[in-house]
Amino acid sequence: MEGNIQDLAAGLAIGLGALGPGLGIGILAAKAMEALGRNPEAAGLIQQNMILAIAFAEAIAIYALVVAIIIKFV
Amino acid sequence: MTRLLRNPKTLLFLIIALSVFLVSLGGGALGNAFNGGFLGSPIAHIQLPAESVLTDPLIGNFYLTNTMLATWLTIAILLVLSLVATRKVSIIPGRLQNLFEVLLEFFLNLMESIAGPENARKFFPLVMTIFLFILAANWVGILPGFATIGRFEPGDEVIHHAEVKAEKEHSHLNLDEVQLQVFDGNNGVAILPFGSIESVITGREFEEHGVDSDRRAGLLVPFLRSSNTDVNTTLAIAIVAMLMVHYWGLTSLGIFGHLGKFLNFKGGPIGFAVGILEAIGEVARLISFTFRLFGNIFAGEVLLAAMAFLLPLIGIIPFLGLELFVGAIQAFIFAMLTLVFASLATISHNSEEH
Repeated sequence: MEGNIQDLAAGLAIGLGALGPGLGIGILAAKAMEALGRNPEAAGLIQQNMILAIAFAEAIAIYALVVAIIIKFV
Repeated sequence: MTRLLRNPKTLLFLIIALSVFLVSLGGGALGNAFNGGFLGSPIAHIQLPAESVLTDPLIGNFYLTNTMLATWLTIAILLVLSLVATRKVSIIPGRLQNLFEVLLEFFLNLMESIAGPENARKFFPLVMTIFLFILAANWVGILPGFATIGRFEPGDEVIHHAEVKAEKEHSHLNLDEVQLQVFDGNNGVAILPFGSIESVITGREFEEHGVDSDRRAGLLVPFLRSSNTDVNTTLAIAIVAMLMVHYWGLTSLGIFGHLGKFLNFKGGPIGFAVGILEAIGEVARLISFTFRLFGNIFAGEVLLAAMAFLLPLIGIIPFLGLELFVGAIQAFIFAMLTLVFASLATISHNSEEH
């Protein structure tokens, strides 16, 4: 098997780092759908806050991505 | 669905879209595997630090970088837009004035609902400036011409730079890891070519075989690059935001009121530990501000480069839309977090006890 251990490190960094935010975004969306089912009139507000919260969760995956990019390219 | 397909206009549009998508798929990286790849632009050279536009430093050790140029361009666009919008302010607003009024009113209303009317007016200038600047910088950054037109750095210079860098890190340079792109023509300005993907060669191939006389191998150093792909820009905005947050905390609570949050001697050992944790939290906020914006925009650039490689010309369009959305969301988040931190800093911790 050929390859650099750095490539493995970069892959693991983003792979493991995406795990948590992926779960988080799933839970967020599920709860938002639940809230939507209970209270369809608040759709706009729920959607707005959901997107904002998803962006926060996503940011953590982005940190992992930055680390992976730094490992790979610097 | 069948009724929709019977409509000749829809059908024509679908056929055109599908064929264009197939052309882009076949012309891209996938087609290259089967000797197609006529559209494929070579995969972009991804570099983390901002590149210098000029070969020599401007003053001393200070380089004029491409992200800095993009920042100045953003500032110029914002200046011109706001000057034009406020040149003839009238009760019945013109189109541009109306746009700005809607935007500013929306933000002011939102901020008043979060921070209260008095604080909202105090925080408004900084929060709105942060929002407008980041939004403009992100949206300007995906214009055509960014990261595709630039200075040409010849292959031997690239190899020389890599050698110097390897020497600094006390490692040996592997010529196979140096990637060079082949461009047409011989003048100083390079444009990312619509060539074949095969026009990427390694440093060893360049050293051993060279390139044809009507071509040149080297790297493209773009004149402009989205300003938030440079960690210096985002760190600067974050520092300004956090400095102002602490300034507002100091002015509204007084020196002892504000610093007492971080060096808490009244609350016993637990209160003291909580204060220290809060001080660490302030630094964490700064770092998370910086890397959230930087990471999102940099990852977007990498995504666009990868998509331009896989699905050139057409397949990239939805991702441009995604980048518009991400740019707006990140600007909004940065501004809103500044507002939330500022309103937290102006509230005393002991207010419920009094």
